[in-house]
Amino acid sequence: MRRWLAVARTPVGAASAVLLLLLAGLALFAPLLWGEQAGAIDTDALQQGSSAAHPLGTDALGRDILHRVLVATRLTIGLALLATVVGVGTGVVLGALPAVLPRWAGRVVTAAVNIAVAFPGLLLALFFAVVFGTGTTGAVLAIAFALAPSFARLTQTLTASVSGRSYIAAARVSGVGRFRVLVRHVLPNVAEPLVINATLAAGSALTAFAGLSFLGIGVQAPSYDWGRLLGEGLNRIYVSPAPALGPAVAVVVAGLAFNLFGEAAAAVLGHRPPPVRRGRPAPAPSTVDDVADEGVLTVRNLRVSFPGPDGWVTPVRGVSFAVREAEVVGVVGESGSGKSLTALAVSRLVEHPGVVTADRLEFLGKPVEGTPDRELGTSLAMVFQDPMTSFNPTRRIGSQLAEVSEQHQGMSRKDAWQRAADRLESVRVPGQRAKQYPHEFSGGMRQRAMIAMGLMGDPRLVIADEPTTALDVTVQREVLRLLGRIRDERSTAVLLISHDISVVQRTCDRVLVMYAGRIVEELPTAELFTAARHPYTTALLAAVPTLETDRDQPLAVIPGRPPEPAEVVAGCPFAPRCPLADDRCRAEEPVLTAVEAGHRVSCWRVEEQQRSALAESAGSRGGTT
Amino acid sequence: MSELRFESVSVHYGHRRTGHLAVDDVSLTVPSGKVVGLVGESGSGKSTLASTAVGLVDATSGTISLDGVDVRRLRRRDRGLQMVFQDPYSSLDPRMSIGESIAEAMPRGTDRRAEVARLLELVHLDPDRATALPARLSGGQRQRVALARALAGRPEVVIADEITSALDVSVQGAVLNLVRDLQRRLGLSMLFISHDLAVVRYVSDRIAVMRGGRIVEEGEADQVLARPRHDYTRELLEAY
Amino acid sequence: MTTATTSTASSGTSWLPFARRRAVRFATSLWALVTAAFLMIHLIPGDPVREALGLTAQPDVVAARREALGLDDPLLVQYWNYLGDLVRGDFGVSLVSGTPVADLIGDRLPATVQLAVLAFLVVVVVAVPVGVGMAVLTKGGRRRGGELGFTSVSVVVAAIPEFLLAVALVSLFAVTLGWFPVAGNDAAGSWVLPVLALALGPAAVLARMVRVELLSVLGNDFVRTARAKRLPARLVYLRHALPNALTATLTLGAMMLAALVAGTVLVENVFAWPGLGSTIVGSIQQKDYPAVQGIVLVYGTGVLLVNLAVDVVLALLDPRSTIREA
Repeated sequence: MRRWLAVARTPVGAASAVLLLLLAGLALFAPLLWGEQAGAIDTDALQQGSSAAHPLGTDALGRDILHRVLVATRLTIGLALLATVVGVGTGVVLGALPAVLPRWAGRVVTAAVNIAVAFPGLLLALFFAVVFGTGTTGAVLAIAFALAPSFARLTQTLTASVSGRSYIAAARVSGVGRFRVLVRHVLPNVAEPLVINATLAAGSALTAFAGLSFLGIGVQAPSYDWGRLLGEGLNRIYVSPAPALGPAVAVVVAGLAFNLFGEAAAAVLGHRPPPVRRGRPAPAPSTVDDVADEGVLTVRNLRVSFPGPDGWVTPVRGVSFAVREAEVVGVVGESGSGKSLTALAVSRLVEHPGVVTADRLEFLGKPVEGTPDRELGTSLAMVFQDPMTSFNPTRRIGSQLAEVSEQHQGMSRKDAWQRAADRLESVRVPGQRAKQYPHEFSGGMRQRAMIAMGLMGDPRLVIADEPTTALDVTVQREVLRLLGRIRDERSTAVLLISHDISVVQRTCDRVLVMYAGRIVEELPTAELFTAARHPYTTALLAAVPTLETDRDQPLAVIPGRPPEPAEVVAGCPFAPRCPLADDRCRAEEPVLTAVEAGHRVSCWRVEEQQRSALAESAGSRGGTT
Repeated sequence: MSELRFESVSVHYGHRRTGHLAVDDVSLTVPSGKVVGLVGESGSGKSTLASTAVGLVDATSGTISLDGVDVRRLRRRDRGLQMVFQDPYSSLDPRMSIGESIAEAMPRGTDRRAEVARLLELVHLDPDRATALPARLSGGQRQRVALARALAGRPEVVIADEITSALDVSVQGAVLNLVRDLQRRLGLSMLFISHDLAVVRYVSDRIAVMRGGRIVEEGEADQVLARPRHDYTRELLEAY
Repeated sequence: MTTATTSTASSGTSWLPFARRRAVRFATSLWALVTAAFLMIHLIPGDPVREALGLTAQPDVVAARREALGLDDPLLVQYWNYLGDLVRGDFGVSLVSGTPVADLIGDRLPATVQLAVLAFLVVVVVAVPVGVGMAVLTKGGRRRGGELGFTSVSVVVAAIPEFLLAVALVSLFAVTLGWFPVAGNDAAGSWVLPVLALALGPAAVLARMVRVELLSVLGNDFVRTARAKRLPARLVYLRHALPNALTATLTLGAMMLAALVAGTVLVENVFAWPGLGSTIVGSIQQKDYPAVQGIVLVYGTGVLLVNLAVDVVLALLDPRSTIREA
């Protein structure tokens, strides 16, 4: 209910709600107030045009059309609502039946609905108008039955999508009956879209009714609705337009009121609050103390921000690292740590409304921002997580590879295709499969084709964002091996993003551990299990079961959960889950600091230990001398 | 205490000739009070096998029995067989409080309020949260609620289908510990399905390896891991 | 662009089953349509001949007419005869004019088809570029004002039923300004208003749909891949995003196109267009059931053909659609 009130608070929702209330008021009171005037025959004022006494003119019996339009509100709206209720009710029942009927009977109902839904409502309405006879009852039933098939289809679609969810399966496993599942779980979860669509349907029922009456097969004299008044007015539209335009405007406004309310409801109930975009995200001081090395890719204080409902949200908050030639660097972190966004940002793929800032962001010694597309297109290769969705399903694999060379290397279509086939061969995909569409490839083969796409140029860096996550373990290995081979053969640098520590450990020279939008630790992979210092890194390593984990001990657990990007607060973001956290950790965010060559940690406690260890060794050395 | 037994179970999807065999003549026993881990890649048929046990999918041939009684002859509610699903974000009805969701599976005549509180405590959640909607819970908490709901049916056998694969690694451990703890305390028989061999190894007494709808290897967990007999098992092990 | 469509047929064995399924569906629908048309007369309460000829008609005239129509035969025999007649192209004889319904349809159908086809072309030519343009301009929450304006205008235009639009157009451009004829289809100018009246609403709906679909396609992984290849924006939109957006739009567009065919009924009545639409309404009012039956069949078949055509286009655009439904 509160959500529906929110609909009435949007400008469109409010305007249409007011209109609907006005219509309801007219429908209730107009016949009482003006019923007499609307029926008063005036033989002195037959077929008049617009005048002060009769703003919309008079009809063939001299009756005032304005009054007739107002009074007709009740019949028009009433019939439209009646038709909607009957139609929607029939539709929902038809749509829900297959869920409770035996399977064969359900199929019959579904097939019948599928046939009926292909025919436009007006045609169905005409058909039923013939069957039920011209007149009010016939028209109500005609419009109702014309609405029913599309509602049945809608109910079916919605029901099917809800039925696929595991809570339905769980309820069935628990022994909840089919009918009860439908009533308790399915219908409540499809009610909202159904109500929204019913509102829209009321709008179209209203106009459809007007259409039937206008054609003379709806409401019959002496009753009158807007459609009938319109039809009467149209006969003399060349003489005086007002008698036709009056009811026409009424139909349009009423139809719009229903439609707009439905649209507003759909917008409010279907979407999250719109992001607020004020000014630019705040800049932040650098979070590394040393100006570390440089390489193929140099990143310094990279930040990515998006507008959120309560201002800017910054999922990547000052990331600095470098990737050198022929080096494989891994980035690990849980979902929401900002690792994928970092990959997109360094490759200039973050789109509006996201904002990327960095003190330095350089690829091959030049700012990424100004590098021409031709250069990035041939020297920076990307591999994405899901090979199922990363290829365009409507185009052949070969053409998707070839367009790189056509676009950036000036090749003819034929040469480019030749090269595509050749590159596919190099990743052990038969060249003639270039002709095929992505859905004809297996997952692992698609991922290799994606890598081949990067090899169309001469990549100096491959950024692979979770390249193996969607693949089965046995397929994972060949993709990782392929990346390793490219590095070996071409001295290409690789930035490998993964949530899976074991993948990173097997493939990478160096690891960056990310948490809550920052790098918390950077160290050589070889030292990951022996020398990791950050409490998050060590906890993460302990929490992941391996084939050596002691089965008699409970798994190490990190209490709590990672913070959402919007809820990052002061201090170290890991402090709420950290067994070592003290007051300083909760107040002040640590800086990524070198503890050894090639090993940087962002943790106050590690820094303290480091300092005391130094002091101790200095002290002990002092003691011996 | 119950034993779940699959005997020559096959599941065929789609058209008789053009469809495919998702589960191909599988026989597997989950001994009373033991955990059998079922590993395999996506599409290997392990989830389909689980679905046949709880009646979400009909087996084309073969029988599934609980202590020797064909599960199809037991009423769902009295089967003593429950399942926990993979996706924490679709496993709870978004319009029902978690208490209602848990209570739904309870046998008639239970003191629902007290039982909900007891179950929530059992899965380390605050009983006061019984009135909360799932949207207020994190993924890990939702999986605990899903576990509590499964336990509400007083099952003797629980099937856990990839229950941690949608969770972050830092959260996964807590759920695995809970599963192991509950299994031991309640003496449940359990079929634990996962694509992650290390996870399966951690919770299981026995391990079955599934591929292409068939079980290619099955045995004591230690034996399967230390002395794999099938090439595919070896390949899986090498990936770690 | 050419490589994507030239030899789709080679890329899979799924075309034959696809064609078979479509043929079966078309045949079933056609059968349902014919049966519905046949039953229509029998569902009418009372005696259709008596209804048609009026209460004053002599009983022997009514009886003779019933006899002539075969209404006294058993239902199944009538059904069988009806099907047989249809196969021979015999749609029966009008109760009012006594002429064969087939002739009536032959006279009137061309004007309706011309109107519908022209209106449909206008819809596509206007809506697709407008939808694409609006999607590009308002991508990623840019130009909220423009988006609001476009959405409001398209909702309002779409909410105006075609016959009211027709009335408004007539009163403005034909009566007040006198630019175009009020009715008929004699002069070239007389096409403008009926086509506009039919096309504007669907164009607004389609433009909106194209925009929404394109925006949602732009969020897909393969669009990111195309951008990662550093293709020019033009190619990203036209080569990668649009075909995928159109496949989704087409399914909904089919229903809209069918509605457009039905919309001709109302528009023809406003403009006194000499097509089937103005005929069917007269026939319904005069209770000329054989004529109504015949015209309903023609409209229904037209709708089925539209759906079939859309399915085929869809299959050409998206190679997966032939197997996805299997």
